[in-house]
Amino acid sequence: MAENKKFWTSFEQFGNTPVAQKMANKEFAEEIPSEEFLGDAEKLENTSTSRRDFLKFLGFSTAAATVAACESPVVESIPYIVKPEEVIPGMPNYYATSYFDGNDFASVLVKVREGRPIKIEPNKEAHFNGDTNARIQASVLSLYDSARLKEPMMDGAETDWNTAIDSLKKELDKAENNGKAIALLTNTIISPSTRSILNKLQAKYTQFKHITYDAFSVSNKLDYYEKATGVRGIPHYRLDKSRLIVSFGADFLNGWTGQNIEADYAKSRKPGPNMSRHIQIETNMSLTGSNADKRYKVKPSEMGTALAYLFNKVSNTGVTLPVAAMRDDLKKAMDATAAELLEGKNKGNSVVFVGGNDAHLENIAFAINFALGNISNTVAVGDTVFMRQGSDTEVHNLLTSMNAGNVGVLMMHGVNPSYTMGAKMKFDEAMAKVPVTVAFSEKLDETASQCKMSLPIHNFLESWGDALPKVGVYALTQPVIKPLFNTRQPQEVYLALAGEDTNYYNFLRAFYDRKTAEVGVSHAWNKVLHDGTLEIPLTAEDLWEKEVILVNSHESETFVYDLLNSATALKSEAKGGKFELAIYQKAGIGTGTLANNPHLQEFPDPISRVSWDNYLTMSAADALSMDLINKAQSNGAVNGSIVNVTVDGVTLENVPVFIQPGQTQGTVGLAAGYGRKGAGKAGDGVGVNAYTLMSDFSRTYQDIKIEKTDGEHEFAMSQLGHTMMGRKIVNATTLDTYLNASSSEEWNETPMFHTHKGHLESNEVSLWEEHDHETGHMWNMSIDLNSCTGCGACVVACHVENNVPIVGKEEIRNHRDMHWLRIDRYYTSDMTEEYAEENSIGAIDKFAAMETPASSPEVYFQPVMCQHCNHAPCETVCPVAATTHSAEGLNHMTYNRCIGTRYCANNCPYKVRRFNWFNYNGNDDFADVNPAQDDYGRMVLNPDVTVRSRGVMEKCSLCVQRIQYGKLEAKKEGRAVVEGEINTACAQACPTGSYTFGDVNNKNSAVLKAKQDKRAYHLLEEVGTQPSVFYQTKIKNA
Amino acid sequence: MLLLAFFTISSLTSSAQSLGDAKNGKKLFKSNCGACHKLDKKVVGPALAGVTERRTEEWLIAWIKDNAALRATGDADAIAIYEEYGGAAMNAFPFLSDQDIKDILQYTIDGDPIAVPVPGGEVAAVPGAEPQDYSLEILITLGLLFALLLAILIKMRNTLKVVKGEDPESVVDDLKGIWGAFARNKFMVTIATITVGVFFLAEVYWFLMGIGMEQNYQPVQPIAFSHKIHAGENKVDCNYCHSSARHSKHSGIPSANVCMNCHMYIDGSEITDASGQLKYEGEPSPEIGKIYASIGWDVNEKKYIEGYEQKPIKWVRIHNLPDLAYFNHAQHVTAGKQECQTCHGPIQEMEEVYQYSELTMGWCINCHRETKVDVDNNGYYEGIHDKLEEKYHGEDITVEKIGGLECGKCHY
Repeated sequence: MAENKKFWTSFEQFGNTPVAQKMANKEFAEEIPSEEFLGDAEKLENTSTSRRDFLKFLGFSTAAATVAACESPVVESIPYIVKPEEVIPGMPNYYATSYFDGNDFASVLVKVREGRPIKIEPNKEAHFNGDTNARIQASVLSLYDSARLKEPMMDGAETDWNTAIDSLKKELDKAENNGKAIALLTNTIISPSTRSILNKLQAKYTQFKHITYDAFSVSNKLDYYEKATGVRGIPHYRLDKSRLIVSFGADFLNGWTGQNIEADYAKSRKPGPNMSRHIQIETNMSLTGSNADKRYKVKPSEMGTALAYLFNKVSNTGVTLPVAAMRDDLKKAMDATAAELLEGKNKGNSVVFVGGNDAHLENIAFAINFALGNISNTVAVGDTVFMRQGSDTEVHNLLTSMNAGNVGVLMMHGVNPSYTMGAKMKFDEAMAKVPVTVAFSEKLDETASQCKMSLPIHNFLESWGDALPKVGVYALTQPVIKPLFNTRQPQEVYLALAGEDTNYYNFLRAFYDRKTAEVGVSHAWNKVLHDGTLEIPLTAEDLWEKEVILVNSHESETFVYDLLNSATALKSEAKGGKFELAIYQKAGIGTGTLANNPHLQEFPDPISRVSWDNYLTMSAADALSMDLINKAQSNGAVNGSIVNVTVDGVTLENVPVFIQPGQTQGTVGLAAGYGRKGAGKAGDGVGVNAYTLMSDFSRTYQDIKIEKTDGEHEFAMSQLGHTMMGRKIVNATTLDTYLNASSSEEWNETPMFHTHKGHLESNEVSLWEEHDHETGHMWNMSIDLNSCTGCGACVVACHVENNVPIVGKEEIRNHRDMHWLRIDRYYTSDMTEEYAEENSIGAIDKFAAMETPASSPEVYFQPVMCQHCNHAPCETVCPVAATTHSAEGLNHMTYNRCIGTRYCANNCPYKVRRFNWFNYNGNDDFADVNPAQDDYGRMVLNPDVTVRSRGVMEKCSLCVQRIQYGKLEAKKEGRAVVEGEINTACAQACPTGSYTFGDVNNKNSAVLKAKQDKRAYHLLEEVGTQPSVFYQTKIKNA
Repeated sequence: MLLLAFFTISSLTSSAQSLGDAKNGKKLFKSNCGACHKLDKKVVGPALAGVTERRTEEWLIAWIKDNAALRATGDADAIAIYEEYGGAAMNAFPFLSDQDIKDILQYTIDGDPIAVPVPGGEVAAVPGAEPQDYSLEILITLGLLFALLLAILIKMRNTLKVVKGEDPESVVDDLKGIWGAFARNKFMVTIATITVGVFFLAEVYWFLMGIGMEQNYQPVQPIAFSHKIHAGENKVDCNYCHSSARHSKHSGIPSANVCMNCHMYIDGSEITDASGQLKYEGEPSPEIGKIYASIGWDVNEKKYIEGYEQKPIKWVRIHNLPDLAYFNHAQHVTAGKQECQTCHGPIQEMEEVYQYSELTMGWCINCHRETKVDVDNNGYYEGIHDKLEEKYHGEDITVEKIGGLECGKCHY
């Protein structure tokens, strides 16, 4: 049975208000902004320019323009003086390197054109974390950020490196002699060679102390595993082996522990008898939760109780944990979950995650995993992942000793504690008590601007480096561009401070030779540099360069210790309160390091579809009770109420409220990473700083206060204007139906038309002549809605690849977003056709009820770009033939022909055409947000794609520049195009492999196989557009 | 001692007598030795003037033919020279006959003849020089002749009229008569107006169409580089300098180090003017000197200057396509097997390059309509080929037929 759920894209649509109807009827919600050009009528009447003068001006300017056009500017062409051997102007080079910013790690390939990195691609051959997410895709732009610190600064004035290092050396010596601590506060360092340098620094200065601090700390988890195994790290979760995934608040599809888990997750969720099931128990509607087969809402204060209850149900140890009173529905949910966990097929093949930063929760979760036999299987404990190292205790101790005046020198690198530490931690006050503060930073950020010395460091694309993200996987980082500014790697400075007479590159080479010799393998350095990663048996001992005493307590039952204590603690900590807060990371901004990256600011949040903002997510019921509203304006944009949020006496003012379906009642969520003050012109002042509210290293707070204040906040939402309601948009079914239905027509119905020739499919009843699609190539794309997690890597990849302009908050609010590829998000309603039939509900009541929000909706994601219709409605209405059809199945858009009538966009059933309302790369109004306006930002533009100007329509081209490139490479080599060699930017960036692109005229292509799959369907097939893009039915394992 | 004396005497005597033809020797020297040797200057190898006084003829022949073999025999002189030049072995020239070598040696004795300026400095007309365009002069002369004839005719008519006793008519009266008849004829007026109008509109149209078209654009370049000398006279392959044309969308202007592959040895000091005199008085050419100034080459020491601040050469781009059009050289050169001249014209004859083609879209499209695709000799078309044959039944497969007119092939 096809699911007849009603999909709605927003509350406005849900209510079917006049505004929503207006939006549905109009492609362009905004009127043409002629007022902006002509000003007000009164002014126009009072002007001294007469009609006659106007005509004179017009005549003169036309003549002048004609004459000026006759003279072409002289264009200079400057060749290399000595051309590097590997560079061919016009051809890209790819270099393997690694990205790590303390939050995300990825092995990537960098596309370099004439010495400029212009695109980050995943390194699919890497041994670990070879996939990219939205942040890593966008990170290439951060290299060219003009807000980067360009010269070393000392006492607020520019200085040179030698002076800075000499004076720093003196300060270190002074502190050493005075017995004052020399503290180095960094984010997680997974570079073994860097740690080796720090060990040398340690050897020289007895007062030296290295402290690791993660903004999104999982310190308690790390403490726990350190106790259990002797190694500070997180187990390698093997979702590819998992049949049942139960997650208590862990947003594992969005960073979390640094492990890129999406690919494994998608692998385990291939529709079939062995498809895994995912149960999410969480507070906010997270990216992970929106992908779950079953999602239960829980308050942070109930998390411990639920987990302890689950333990009692599944454990066979005889220990019964004390459990506080529980909601009946939660109890029922845990009973069901326990039953599933105990099912025979899931034994040893399940995994129970807990999110957050709580040792007690981790303790119980581990006990559950142990009881279920998951340890060493799906939870590979010895296979440690090192990407989180922060220690809350050490940071706390550092703050204490800073306040006591015991710290002589504080150096910081990769951290921004002034921004990421809560107001209660009073970091700034503590820092003021340290005589010498040094920040190694790419920016003059919140912390660096307060330091005595701010030393500019390389971007990762300018750096050498290595990484041990996980036991046994060694990765290298290599520079792909000469440093743009007068920057250095911190490692160079550490080496100088340690008195080592070498540069970091030589040190790294020697370190590499030594390490490979130690483990008895010889691999050519250049080969590893070429590949990016290497599998060699390096362990924690190699990372820290010190002995690690391994404990095997986790392998026996004795490790399940102190559970009673944990459960009791959790029970007593649960104080509840009217509201509880859960701070989370958005898929775009993450921890806020890349907040000045306009790609990420413009990227709509996958769940809320809001750009350029963070907000308090709240359930509709709570909002109603507090008289908080989200109200649509006359142009369809949404305004929201504003509140003040108080946690432990710290108040964050003017936080906008966003009503979020699926938010647990009695809780609110707030994204970190916003409210920056020293990030740069694009990131500063966007949103509010959620970190302020953190009174310790936890991210959930109970008993918080929310007060309504005056005023309204303007949101920039990109989905409200794009409705595709009430039809088979996202086709979804259950695994059971999929496996057992007698025909796929039951769940993937083909629309049929009654004609005089009988029942015909839509492509058989066409007015148009068929194109020849047999000769040559026929490019098609399949999008698997089952594996799409909505992460948005494709959206950013598309932006970077195709020079898609950034338009800023105001224009998004005006529904003039330029995304060629959007990910529509649909919620479901509880009312279905079947339910109405069973309960004899009439049509009017049924449709009315369908408008009522489900208390806990299911979420579906659907990437939509130009569908490249073979009978394209846009082509037939263009008066100048600017959009035409290609024999290869593409819908071409010729910008230089377009005169901007916008008929095509109005006639497009998929609403994928984007109009350039302004000259985004030249208009001063966009100077703050559009990187193409900046001499540095321009360097990231793809030279193979036109930068569109004002007044033309644009849309997805299926990366025609890549198709043409791939075909030409084949022709040059005199061979056929190889399957997989041509790929679109979105398909390449997708970590779950949801996109399959290829030539359906190639009988062996994956895309042909996908097209013939019974899950395949076209979007709005009944319209008869015959798109080249098609979708695979979403299967929920419900 | 005696032996040495004998050798010296014999070599002296031999140098006095003629070894061979110095003219042929010069030619051979230029093509075989000139890259490393000069007569008067030590370059890569030693200066060769007077070499016959330093070595015996037999030794020189043995050395030139195969110096490595000579060294292998343990010849002390040969080994000494080899070591003096830092172990850089001279090429072997087994294909030179003994007489060839003797000719070359004669050239090293005679040297270049010092050109004596011809009194008066006039150069005789070079036979075979391009004929000048006299058409304008011919036209003017003819015109004058006709005018004279007309004047004579009118004069004659008037004289006849006077003879007959009638009043002579002036030319003005004649013209008035014709104009009057023309102006009264409405049909003629209409035709004339339409003709003039159409002509005027056509001119305006072509003027407007020409805006932004830069055919024959010939900017002054920073270096007076002659494609005629390089591609024409010396037949340097286009791809040698514009190597990326085969691989990439850009043809690529050669970087200065590519120029240096040849200009390390050819500094232009040998260039003579029409009178056969050294144009730059034996100094390097100032135009080639611009390459040296860019890359930092010490022309006297014959080596790169260390720590030199290199200065790029700013060429003026001649062929400017708008950003909205995507053009790829490799597509045309490697895949399409087109000659450079198809678009760039007789580049091998151009002293200074100009834009030969219109580079308009109509021009591109035309070529795509007419040019056949060699589908048989490119593995890319395997499979596609059969279907194309089936579709077009043996017609020529042009670029158009494989989608070469589709907008998205050039505009994205």
